[in-house]
Formats: sequence, structure tokens, C-alpha cells
Amino acid sequence: MINLKSAPLRRWRQLASAWLALIAIAAVFPAAAQSDGDAAVLERRVKATFLYKFLSYVEWPENALPKPNTPFTIAVIGDDALAAELAEFAGGRATEGRSVVVRKVNDPGEAASAHILFVARGENPRLSQLVKATQSKPVLIVTESDGALASGSMINFVVSGGRVRFEISVDAADRRQLKLSSRLLTVALNVRVGTP
Amino acid sequence: MAALSLFTSWAACAADPKVRDLADLSLEQLSNIEVTSVSRRAERLQDAAASIFVITADDIRRSGVSSLPEALRLAPNLQVARVSANSYAISARGFNNAIGNKLLVLIDGRTVYTPLFSGVFWDSQDVMLEDVERIEVISGPGATLWGANAVNGVINVITRPAGETQGTLLAAGGGNQTKGGAARYGGEMSSGGHYRVYGQYFDRANTEHANGTSVFDDWNSGRIGFRADWGGTARGFTMQGDAYRGELDQALPGTQRISGVNLLARWNRQLAENSSVRVQAYYDRTERTQPGTFAEHLDIFDLEFQHTLRPAASHHLLWGGGYRYAFDRVDNSAALAFLPADRNLRWANVFVQDEIALAPDLDLTLGVKAESNVYTGVEWLPNARLAWKAAANHLLWGSVSRAARAPSRLDRDLFSPAKPPFLLAGGPNFQSEVSKVFELGYRSQPMSAVSYSITAFHHIYDRLRSLEPAPGGGLVIDNKIDGTGNGVEAWGSYQATQAWRLSAGLLELRQRLALRSDSLSTQGVAAEGNDPKHQWMLRSSLNLGRAYELDMTVRHVSALPSPLVPAYTAFDARLGWRVSRDLELSLTGQNLFGPAHIEFGNPATASLVERSVFLKALWRM
Repeated sequence: MINLKSAPLRRWRQLASAWLALIAIAAVFPAAAQSDGDAAVLERRVKATFLYKFLSYVEWPENALPKPNTPFTIAVIGDDALAAELAEFAGGRATEGRSVVVRKVNDPGEAASAHILFVARGENPRLSQLVKATQSKPVLIVTESDGALASGSMINFVVSGGRVRFEISVDAADRRQLKLSSRLLTVALNVRVGTP
Repeated sequence: MAALSLFTSWAACAADPKVRDLADLSLEQLSNIEVTSVSRRAERLQDAAASIFVITADDIRRSGVSSLPEALRLAPNLQVARVSANSYAISARGFNNAIGNKLLVLIDGRTVYTPLFSGVFWDSQDVMLEDVERIEVISGPGATLWGANAVNGVINVITRPAGETQGTLLAAGGGNQTKGGAARYGGEMSSGGHYRVYGQYFDRANTEHANGTSVFDDWNSGRIGFRADWGGTARGFTMQGDAYRGELDQALPGTQRISGVNLLARWNRQLAENSSVRVQAYYDRTERTQPGTFAEHLDIFDLEFQHTLRPAASHHLLWGGGYRYAFDRVDNSAALAFLPADRNLRWANVFVQDEIALAPDLDLTLGVKAESNVYTGVEWLPNARLAWKAAANHLLWGSVSRAARAPSRLDRDLFSPAKPPFLLAGGPNFQSEVSKVFELGYRSQPMSAVSYSITAFHHIYDRLRSLEPAPGGGLVIDNKIDGTGNGVEAWGSYQATQAWRLSAGLLELRQRLALRSDSLSTQGVAAEGNDPKHQWMLRSSLNLGRAYELDMTVRHVSALPSPLVPAYTAFDARLGWRVSRDLELSLTGQNLFGPAHIEFGNPATASLVERSVFLKALWRM
């Protein structure tokens, strides 16, 4: 039979020492304190990853990728940190059999030769200008500003329910001869068809 | 000192994924990463006007458990007691029993309770835990959406879409009580869809009685299955199925055998921006042979339809219906019989629920379901819920509902022995057990690192199952117990640092059941269930650098009254080591300190739950 008097006491002592040990371990490994910037960092990294992933779910016309070894170019305007992190990851990496080049750009003229152009929030006032400068070029314009689809963006990031989601304008992509895969449309929060 | 700072920076990395770590995720997984919350809990949880706890895939992995019932211990709003090596008593808000009947369990939308006793044979229900996305545990009634039997709770086991389980995964583990392994492969189809196939097998050892003799309850079970998904939320189609068989030892006269197969198809389509339909159909066959007692062959066909729409800006309307047909065939024994041996059972339901935005911060949900069954006709299952979003991260909610537990074959058709004179006879007039429920809850995330939920409930029960003396001798099943159940469920978590999370849960329950004044029963109310007054748990989840994880849980269950089961406190721990990106090793110990204890049943004949250790390897390719 279990000794009812001493067993619980012993068990409690063991539990208490286990918890003390745990607290001691936690004290020895003081992980980086949570700062307000962390959420923004994660949001930026998720967006950077999406940009890289879009390469696999968009079909560019042949003239945009003339040679089998023509690299994919992702141009970033207005977010140097995102460009740097994406470059660090994608540099030397191949997707769909092509290497990936990440460029920080400033001049709209430089953007016209990119496959993806990411326009950060701060540069949204220049969006119309950038759309015009790349007009008729098969450039997938990705933004992160409310209402950007109406200004000619094809994919716009929105933070919804605490998560990075995106909305798509199929017509804007069509006009640039970009084919968006059905998988991409499925994951999108919103798909716009038939609006300017 | 240098080593320490290295560990510190690793710890920061683990909770702080770089693009390199994120690139392995699918588009769906990427769009599911919470970028604004430390807790990584599902966001809509904050808005649900119900006592809902979500067990995440990460919770399951870090607990080191190797079976579905053990994973359910992670939910503070559930009572989980191990009866033997192959049997569990699982309930919410009381009435816990190895044949408990007030909890509804669904696996990927498939209802897994048996119409034999309106409960779950936990030995037949399993999933590959590595492919589970989350388990939603709702305590309290869910009858308006889920129907009769969702009286005191609903458990939704949800597996990941096939697109999120691509590639090969191998898991193998062994310990003093369990040995097993699982394999899964996921791939892409030329049609654009994704699929996975899996298989798993385990063997669990006998448990012992307190006097050291064997319970003869060792068992083994093997399971294979698949899932295929095409499309997504706008337009999607899913097919999935499983087949399993198992052998369970029993003292005499021979091994119990279980087997089953199920196949489910689900189709969803978005009709307009705020309107979508879902149709689901499945077939589920289960077989159970229990030598000396009975054998059962059960075939179920189930069809469900639901439509969500937004007829006006402030209304979210959900309506639908379902039909379920079961052929139940029982081979009776001399000791026990279901009469008639074969019975066809039918359930049909229609429901409507409207979520009305009364004000930007105030939502009223009104719903009702009408469900028919072959025994008592139509049951009305209404509910009203009010949710007030007092501030961005504070939700106060209340609800009033009526739920019913429709009769099962056990209530109406069970006789023992098989021929008269019966010692026990099914109740020809047995009616549905009814519960009226009042709930008040508060959920808050006052700062990003802290979140908690508190729910108080008051259940009024009418016409619970009782055993009355039969006119000709013996006992007959009737509805002559009434009562109330009051209690509080609370849980919370605190992300102390990026690498260390503490969680706690508490359950307080006071049940008062009494025979009606016209009852002549001498059996009392003990057969309803055996519940603790309190239950609590504390968990600590700690990342030790990038490669190691240490998880510890202390859980306490107070004494059960009848039969008297002493209170126990158990300590579980898991040490995980991520050897490389593809390989993870873990060592899990349960009931590490203190003597072996029993969790349920008569102490003289119950199984002891002893210390267990389990070493597991998980390899992803």
C-alpha cells in the first residue's frame, strides 16, 4: 500500500525542486527581450519570402526570359533592409532553374528590366509614376499600401488578422502578359477581376 | 561566457525565423504566420463567443505524446483519465465515464461517436499526430451547429491540407510502454492538387493492477490512409480516407478485434464575395468483436450541406442541413444482447444561425437546429450568444443554450442476460437527456505576452439516465435523475521571454445530481460519471538555444468520489533535440515522480498508470 502520509510530501518536494531547476535554467538562458520591432521584422521577412516564392507561381512571357540562363531580377524600391535580407538569402540560389538577382533601385528606369518590382509603403506616392515607367513591360508590381491595386499594382500585401496576406488584380497582370497560377489566386485574400 | 552568448543568440534565432527558414513553407503556411502576436494562437480565437481552447500542432509535438487521447490532456477544459492501456474516459464539464455520452468528437468533419452508446470508442479513433494542424476543444454546448450529443463539449481534430504535408516524414519511437512508427509521403498531382499517404503502427504494453497482476490489456493497431486536396477556399475539393485494424487483449475468453474504414469527400465553392457553400459526404464502417460480450458491424452514411451568406452588411447568415443513416448489426452473446439485434438508424437536421452586428463592438448570434432521430422524433436545439468587444484585446461574452443527448441503442435496446428474466432492460420510453446552459466568459490579451480566458457556467440537467426497478424484477433504464453542474474554466499563458512560455489551466466543477421524487431507484447517481472537483495544470515550454527544447508539465486531478479514486499529481517532461534541419530526436517521460497511480475506475481492479519513457526520432525529407 502507498504510505499516504509521506508520499505526497515527497512528491511535492520533487515537484518544487523540478520547478526551481527550471527557473534556474531559464535564468541562465535569458533570450533576447521582446521589442516592438520584432513584429515589423517578421512581417518584412514574410514579405521578402513571398516575393521570392512568387517567382514560382507567375509565368512571364518568353521575351522577359530570352535565354535558359537569364536570371530572375527582383527590384526593391524603398526598403533597403528587405532588399538586403532577400539578397542574402536568394544570392546564388536558383529557382525554376534560374538564379535570382536582387537589386535596390531608385530610378524608375532601372525598374523596367526587373521581373518583380516591390514598391515599399514609403514610396507609394511614386507608384503611378513607376507604373507608367514600366508600362508595356512584363513587370510584376508588388505593393504594400491600401488601394494600390487601383493604381496599377498587381499584388498588394495587406496585414489581415495579424497575418501577411495579399490581394491580386488579375486584369493588371493580364495587361502585362503575366499569367498568375491558380494556386496563387487560391491563397489570395481577394482576387479582383474586371476593374481598372 | 562565450558559450553562453552563443546560446543566447541561437535562442533569439529560433523564435525569429529568417527568410532562409521561411522559404521552406508553402504559400498557405506563409499566409498563416502571425506577424503581430507573440502567442501564435489562432486569431479568431480572440473573437469566438465560446469556451474554446486550441491545441496547436506545436503543442502536440512539444508534449511528446503518442496518441490522440494523451494529446487531449493538453486542453485545460477537458477531463482525460486513462482507464487501461487501451481505454480512456474523456469528458468536459463532468459526467466522465468510459462510456461517456455528452461530448461530440469530429475528425476532419467526420463525427466519430458511435450510436451504440453515444460516445467514443477511443481505441478505434486515431490520426497521425504529425499531420494534425490543430485540435479545437470547445467546452459547453455546441448543439446548434453540431447537433445532439454536443451537450457538454465538442472536439474538432483538424489535419493539415495535403499541400502542407509534402515530402517524406518518418517517425519511430520506443519506450517501456509503447513502441511504434509512422511514415507519410506527400506529393503533387499533375492536375494541380496535392496528396499524401500515410501508415502507422504501434504496440502498447499491458498495465498492472495495484496488487501487481496483469490487466491483460496490451494492444496493437495499424492504420493507413490518404488525403487529397484540390483548389482552396474559393473553390476546393478534398477526399480522404483511412483504414485500420487492431487487436486488444482481454482477460478471457479471447482477443478483441477492431477494424474500420472510412472515406470522405468535401466540396466547397465561393458563390460571390460573401457567399459560399460546402457539401460533405462520407461513409464510415466500424467492426468490433469482443468475445464473450458482443460483436458489432456498423455502417454509416452521412451527407451535410451548409451555406454562408451576408444578406445585409450587419448579418452573417449560416444555414444548412444534414442526413445520416446507420445500419447497426450486433451479434449478441448469452450475457448481453441488443434487441432487436439489427437496427437502422436515421438522423436528419436543418439549422440556421445569424451573427448580427448590433454595433461595431457588439455581436449577437442567434441560432437553432431541429434534429430528428428514430427514437424521440424532433429535438429543438437553440442558442443565443452575445459578444462585446470592450477593447481591441478584450472580449466579454455570454450565452444561453439548450442541448439534448438523444437516446442511443444502449438506452433503448440493451438487455442482460440475452433472454428473460432480464437483470437489466433497455427503457422503451427512454427520452432525450436535456441540458439548459448559461455561460459567461471573458477573454483578454492585456499585453502581447499575456493572454487568458475565464468562463463560468451553469448547466441545468433534466431527465438524465437512471436505473429503476422493473415491475417483474431486475432494472429498467429510465430518465429519473435531474441536477445542476456549476463551474469555472480558466487558462492563460505568459511568454516570459522569446524562448520561454508558461501556461496554466484550472477547472472547478460542482455537480449536484439527484433522483426525482417519483424514482424508486436504489442505484443512486454514481453511474452518471465520476468527476473531480478541481483539476489544474502548469506547463513550461523552453527553447535552449536553437537546437534544444525542454517542456515540463505538472498536472493535478483531485479525488473522484464514487468509486473513490485518490487525487494525483503527475509530472511529465520532454527534451527535444533538433539534430539537423531534417532530424529531430526527443525523450519524453510521463509520471516521472511519485508512485504509480490510478486515474479511473474501482481502485481494486483499475489499471495503474506508471512511469513511462519514450524515445522518438522524427525525420523529414
